[in-house]
Amino acid sequence: MDVRAHVAMVFHLDKCIGCHTCSIACKNVWTDRPGAEYMWWNNVETKPGTGYPTQWEDQTNYQGGWKVTDQRELVLRGQNRRNTVLKLFYNPNQPGLDDYYEPWTYRYEDLFNAPEGDDQPTAIPISQITGEPIDIEAGPNWDDDLSGSPVYAENDPNLSRLTEDERNALFEVERLTMMYLPRICNHCVNPSCVAACPSGAIYKRGEDGIVLINQEVCRGWRACVSACPYKKIYYNWQTGKSEKCILCYPRLETGQAPACFHSCVGRIRYMGVLFYDADRLEDAMKAPEESLVESHRSVLLDPNDPAVIAGAKANGISPEFIESAQKSPIWKYVMEWQVALPLHAEFRTMPMLYYVPPLLPVMGRSGDGIYAHDTEEFFGHLQKARLPIKYLASLFGAGNTEVVEAAMKRLMAVRYFKRAEGVGDVDEDKVKRVLREAQLTAEQAEAIYRLTSLCTVHDRYVMPPIQREEAMTESCSAEMCKGQCGLGTTTPPQRGA
Amino acid sequence: MFDVFFFVGLPYIAVFTMVAGTIYRFRKDRLGVSSLSSQFLESKALLWGSVPWHIGIAVVFLGHLIPLLAPGVWQALVARRAFLITIETLGSCAASLCLVGLVILAIRRFASSKLQTVTTAMDLVVVNLLIAQVVLGLGVATAHRWGAVWSTGTTTPYLWSLLRFNPDVSYVAELPALVRVHLVGAFVVFLLVPFSRLVHMFSLPLEYLFRPPQKVVWANPRRLLHAHAAVAAMESRRLFLKASFGLAGAGALLSVGVFDKFLGFFRGPRMTPDEEAKLLKTRLDRLQLTVEERELELERIRSEQIFVAKVGELSPKDGKYFIDYKMRPALAFRDEQGLPRLISAKCTHLGCTVASSVDSTNRLLCPCHMSYFDVKSGAPLEGSPAKAPLPLLGWILVDPNGKTVASQGPDGKLEGKPDPATLDVCSVYIAKQYEEA
Repeated sequence: MDVRAHVAMVFHLDKCIGCHTCSIACKNVWTDRPGAEYMWWNNVETKPGTGYPTQWEDQTNYQGGWKVTDQRELVLRGQNRRNTVLKLFYNPNQPGLDDYYEPWTYRYEDLFNAPEGDDQPTAIPISQITGEPIDIEAGPNWDDDLSGSPVYAENDPNLSRLTEDERNALFEVERLTMMYLPRICNHCVNPSCVAACPSGAIYKRGEDGIVLINQEVCRGWRACVSACPYKKIYYNWQTGKSEKCILCYPRLETGQAPACFHSCVGRIRYMGVLFYDADRLEDAMKAPEESLVESHRSVLLDPNDPAVIAGAKANGISPEFIESAQKSPIWKYVMEWQVALPLHAEFRTMPMLYYVPPLLPVMGRSGDGIYAHDTEEFFGHLQKARLPIKYLASLFGAGNTEVVEAAMKRLMAVRYFKRAEGVGDVDEDKVKRVLREAQLTAEQAEAIYRLTSLCTVHDRYVMPPIQREEAMTESCSAEMCKGQCGLGTTTPPQRGA
Repeated sequence: MFDVFFFVGLPYIAVFTMVAGTIYRFRKDRLGVSSLSSQFLESKALLWGSVPWHIGIAVVFLGHLIPLLAPGVWQALVARRAFLITIETLGSCAASLCLVGLVILAIRRFASSKLQTVTTAMDLVVVNLLIAQVVLGLGVATAHRWGAVWSTGTTTPYLWSLLRFNPDVSYVAELPALVRVHLVGAFVVFLLVPFSRLVHMFSLPLEYLFRPPQKVVWANPRRLLHAHAAVAAMESRRLFLKASFGLAGAGALLSVGVFDKFLGFFRGPRMTPDEEAKLLKTRLDRLQLTVEERELELERIRSEQIFVAKVGELSPKDGKYFIDYKMRPALAFRDEQGLPRLISAKCTHLGCTVASSVDSTNRLLCPCHMSYFDVKSGAPLEGSPAKAPLPLLGWILVDPNGKTVASQGPDGKLEGKPDPATLDVCSVYIAKQYEEA
């Protein structure tokens, strides 16, 4: 057993209101620079939808993530050693600017400098790449809120798991439904970007698992851009280097939550420490698709198990980390209650960002224009929900509906439990039956309710001190470590000659 | 003066600048080194520009490098006409690919407004210089045919003279202008490497082919103190890699030696005419010795009797060497009666040749291990390493008229009585009959 600590996250989708505040916070802190205008390290997508970049989930084109070969070997789908050499001069699996969007701003000075006339002056849109006027054809969230129609949503790759009837039903105007999917880098335990980097510039920090790109080692081959199945690595066209979410590690190291977490209006984001077994990782990632979520969970280690604690100490994990892991909200959501699920586990990268699937679009039902939910028939309804379970299973269960259903039943049971307690219009036998079916105790239901609804900032972000600079100065000079550990750049980034 | 600047000064400045500048950039300006891909902004034309250019230039580069590094092998190869035509065709095709690729890359830079924002003046200089260089190269290939042949006698020795720090511009002084400009162009390309995007050619990610897939960086000193088995395993893997690199290095050194032998085979022995003459003379002398030996052997096979000496020539003290029927050394003395005494000179100890003179007490000495033999009986003296006696040989005495006057077998049995008056002019022979007995 090789116990390692990892900073992990849970996004509670039932609470997401799709306001994009997280995206804006991130943009203002990190990507408001030449070459990075088009990047959204944090973005919020509307599902069903094609996302950003368009069709990122469709790996037939981008060839991201891992696959298991016939010889039971875990290999990168598109960027293995041989392919990287072959694709060095031209990579056919890379998204171009058009797959994202051409960033633009407006010529605001026209509003002030326009000559006096009869017409109101306008600020025309100009490209942030060329500075020339452009016709805006796409944006980072062009299909936000379905843009009022299923035109974009129809191309969602996840819909391929649905039957024709189910798809048609999904897009009937009266039943039209959607959910939000905020996305940042998953800081995967088995990152395909690291494995694909020809220059060896991408690395995982051993202490907290944050995945970073050393800008000084990066040579801009962009294999990582293709290899990341979540398309969360972006190529800076100005500097010729690739960039990604750094989980605001400078903030984490000073005891603050990342900017997107900190600014979240719906308070949907949780952050804490998870322990995992590095020795078990490879075998677990080779599991067949339908059992991937289960094997993913089997890699995680119980921080209260004495053997795990001993292993953690032997591996040099600090007491603060161990204590933090024992109080981790992530462990509770992912393992104790099993209501949070990894996004697209079938990419086999073992993402460290989990999602509590949204319940509302599933249980809400519209009849004669009246929004209602039928408490008597709920479990029957789960099968013919507005947003089909199969669709959610494609996102969060690697196609396995059972794990998603189990999570949904628990979330629903919590609602029955609290409704009986607060409103009292559900009889107790029914509540007991529902809790039993969801395999929850009353205490657990109460705990889920409290951590979901009444959580303070201290409940949501349970982080040990991450004092890397201090640790580093003990092991080597800051001067030497700077180049290696991504502590920051000493020269302003600019395009080379 | 002109030649010295362009063909001695420029190449040294260019190569030095390239090496020093590239090292400087990779150490000090790591943030500025990148493949500087523009595929993100424009990918359709890039496919038809970048791929032909890179494949073409790789082939052309090899075509320039091999004749430089192994001119002997190259000459041997291009001496075959079919091969020469193949090489030249392949080279021209590759160069055309380069040209097509470069032109597309250049047009692409101007055609796309997005690309113009990431195009520097140096990019344009480089792309135009490369186009000029490829055109010049193609021009050389067509105007001065079979460059694969003549280059080994002109540009290759010139470049080697540069590499040996003994520049000799006479090799290029008489070359056509086109070739000279192509050479100067190459030096300018070298010169620009560290100042332009060309530096990305040294970023070729060879390390990727051998490194483990995942990369974890630890900064926690506690982790270093409590190194886990996994770290140890990683360490041992690293050691293994280091060891394999060491072995590979040793193997490479060995193969350099082997390769040298191969090259030597093609190039023949490396000798000055004097050394060669000396070697031939030694060989001739050795052959002559062999001839003489063979003649002696034949003589002994064909004749019944072999002449040893006139009796008068023999002395009791100083023996005369001769070769017996079995091609072994033997000694001829004159005994107290004035008759010949023939005794084998091959020491019975380890086969050395016994010295020819007897000492004051009539002993023969083998100088190898100090065996003493009595000259009369051939018996070894007490304390000698040799234990067996030197055998006595039989002889026949023939007078000047050709008549056998006396003989003695190896057993010492004397037959006939020679006339003491004519004894001195009688000839001593050894006879085959005694050998067979």
